Amino acid sequence: MASIFDDYRTDQFFDEVFSAPGVRRPHYGAVLDSIGGLNPVDFGLRQRTADNAFLRQGVTFTVYGDEQGTERIFPFDLMPRIIPRREWDRIEAGLVQRITALNLFLHDVYHGRKIISDGIVPASLVESASHYRPEFRGVKVPHNIYIHICGTDLVRDGKGDYYVLEDNGRCPSGASYMLENRNAMKRAFPGLLQSLPVRPVDSYGTLLRETLAHLAPPGVLDPVIVVLTPGVYNSAYFEHCYLAKQMGVPIVEGRDLIVRQDRVFMRTTQGLQQVHVIYRRIDDDFIDPLVFRKDSLLGVPGVVQSYQAGHVALANSIGTGVADDKAVYGCVPKMIKYYLDQDPILPNVPTYLGADDSECSYILDNLDKLVVKAVNESGGYGMLMGPHSTKKECAEFGERVKANPRNYIAQPVLALSRHPVFVQDHFEGRHIDFRPYVLYGDRVRVVPGGLTRVALKAGSLVVNSSQGGGSKDTWVLWEDRLDQVPGTAPASTPVA
Amino acid sequence: MLSRVADSIYWMARYVERTENLARLLLSTQDLLLDAGAEAADANQFWQPLLMATGDDERYAALYPAVSGATVAEFLTLRADNPNSMINSVRAARENARTVRDQISDEMWECVNGLRLFLDSSEARSLRQYQPAALFERVLISSYQFQGIAESTTPRGEIWHFLRLGTALERADKVSRLLDTCSGLPTEMAPHPGSRPLRWAALLRSCSAWHAFHALSAKLDPVKVIGYLLLNETFPRSITFCVNEVHSTLLALCGNGTMSEMEEPVRLAGRLAADLRYTTVEEVMEAGLHSFIDDLQTRFNDIGTSIFETFVLYADAVPVAPANRTTNWQQGAWHAPAAEDAQVQQQQQ
Repeated sequence: MASIFDDYRTDQFFDEVFSAPGVRRPHYGAVLDSIGGLNPVDFGLRQRTADNAFLRQGVTFTVYGDEQGTERIFPFDLMPRIIPRREWDRIEAGLVQRITALNLFLHDVYHGRKIISDGIVPASLVESASHYRPEFRGVKVPHNIYIHICGTDLVRDGKGDYYVLEDNGRCPSGASYMLENRNAMKRAFPGLLQSLPVRPVDSYGTLLRETLAHLAPPGVLDPVIVVLTPGVYNSAYFEHCYLAKQMGVPIVEGRDLIVRQDRVFMRTTQGLQQVHVIYRRIDDDFIDPLVFRKDSLLGVPGVVQSYQAGHVALANSIGTGVADDKAVYGCVPKMIKYYLDQDPILPNVPTYLGADDSECSYILDNLDKLVVKAVNESGGYGMLMGPHSTKKECAEFGERVKANPRNYIAQPVLALSRHPVFVQDHFEGRHIDFRPYVLYGDRVRVVPGGLTRVALKAGSLVVNSSQGGGSKDTWVLWEDRLDQVPGTAPASTPVA
Repeated sequence: MLSRVADSIYWMARYVERTENLARLLLSTQDLLLDAGAEAADANQFWQPLLMATGDDERYAALYPAVSGATVAEFLTLRADNPNSMINSVRAARENARTVRDQISDEMWECVNGLRLFLDSSEARSLRQYQPAALFERVLISSYQFQGIAESTTPRGEIWHFLRLGTALERADKVSRLLDTCSGLPTEMAPHPGSRPLRWAALLRSCSAWHAFHALSAKLDPVKVIGYLLLNETFPRSITFCVNEVHSTLLALCGNGTMSEMEEPVRLAGRLAADLRYTTVEEVMEAGLHSFIDDLQTRFNDIGTSIFETFVLYADAVPVAPANRTTNWQQGAWHAPAAEDAQVQQQQQ
């Protein structure tokens, strides 16, 4: 049977769908049969229907640096990424292990600092992290949990092995797209979703709410939970709103909250109402002008004091950025060993620290072969893609590294795995990564799914939405019925 | 409910209603011109009242040398630099809806968002040029849709009450302005039955009151028209009807315990409702329609202000403990294009 995938090329990369040109990975069998049978016009039509629905529903993000504050949809590719159960089980275990270690590390850093006195992590590395908050030394936080919501970025290399690229432990975004992408797929391919054992992700809102409720001050049985947003002009405002709606809690701006007698209240039509848990989507820097940036108009004066007094809980806690600092990242495998006495289930990408003299000179000598990143930036800003940069760009970036070595790390360029993406009228391979969401409440839960981000530009390795990335729905399978030894014929399944 | 949310919902409803009234006014004026035949040569007579009704005559005069149908319609419809244009009202309704989209139904949000996407489209621009009536009808239908969706998806709690408050106050205000544009016209019945009191007919049409009025009175007696739009208690766009709606909504809002002591908006609305109930159209004509409406508009404004002070600023007025920190509280709803604060640009992880 002719298929829309007949001319698809895997090149020299690890392809998620085809183990070799024309050789399909078994867990993609049903999807390839179904989508492959569509003609390009049909597929394009479904794609446009999905795009229009996103626009109409306002599933958009705001583009900065654009004077009109244009709202765009996050480009969405209809072909789903599929993760078979055995891969998922390993990912899940690795994520649970990692968030556990990171939280133990944060508690240690802000209390006994044993990992430093035992010489595992140098004090200078911790104290020079720009998101380290000495104000929180010795402050007790609810249940000793710092990172409640974590969005860990995973990538696969040329052999298909999973690596942790970074831990986003401050205000990770994107969970709303995970949920909305699934809704879009339900509209576009209802039969296909029904015929495959795809694990649902729609419990995320409920789990998030449970995670937050767990933090409520002792004695508060029915806590008032709010989502704190920087406001409608923030690029992720849609997500803040969406998650608030999924949880059934109000979304508030800083100006809606007021602190009196170390307690946080929101201004309502009925007067002041006390707030017990704040899912804050405002960075530490802006959250309280009395403690951090004095010029912040987004935050709530006094909220940090209230948090320290235990009258309100914040998720994530203050100062978690020290754990997702890109230089501290390099120490996470050692943390796992130190706190849990285990080997990391999900390995790190090899990382060279600018802070280390010999590693720094290695970085400077090999700028054209490495990815160099500023440690405290996110969203694909402040980085150098060595192999894709000119000599001049490399040299300029080298100067910045020399001026402030602690601020930079470098990693080898990974040959990220690729996935077929619909381009105009056919499929082409594009690099992808994967961000699952980890929730740490009374226990650690990982929603079986996540956001697969796609670098839409041919050859590009940058997947961030602000840098022209797109996304895909991610299907985690309940069982490996379809996941047999590569090379065998796919199991026959009903197809939409 | 958050005070800011109440304010945004109230203004979202006001801006949707404002858009609808503007669309109907433009549509009925256009139809009027087609009826007017030779009289339409003096277009000024028909278009000037529109500018007065929207309160934009000065701004218009600064932009255009003369009053003509094409330029007035352009000015009031898609012109981005006229803050009261249709597109800016829709934008304001949509921005307010966006700040409260977790509170309203998805269908309501999609309706307002869809209307904004439509008005921003090239389709809308081409319609405005070649088939303006089709554009206005589409806007009207969107507004009816919005009202219908709101009616059938909103729980009858605070959100519903603030929606109704915004809609009813805006409607009362707009009808009063439309009436005012006719306050200079002669109110005697035309001397012979063949004459066509076009302006009064257009007034009724722009309030969707043509059929309702005709079911009551065959003759287009200007005094009866004024009485109908001002004092009728059953027609949903009459001023009295709207004020009664505002009053009953405020009673519903304030009726629940904690609000019982703050009845300023209730008092103002109740007094106005009573005044209207016991006013006759003859008294209005004796006092002069224009000054009567002037007084009405002042009282609408007072009600609006007291609603804001009561529900939006209330939380700060009743402190838990003596306030010792100043806060930078600003009004909640979205009104004009606001400069983007650099701080909202915090990077996303």
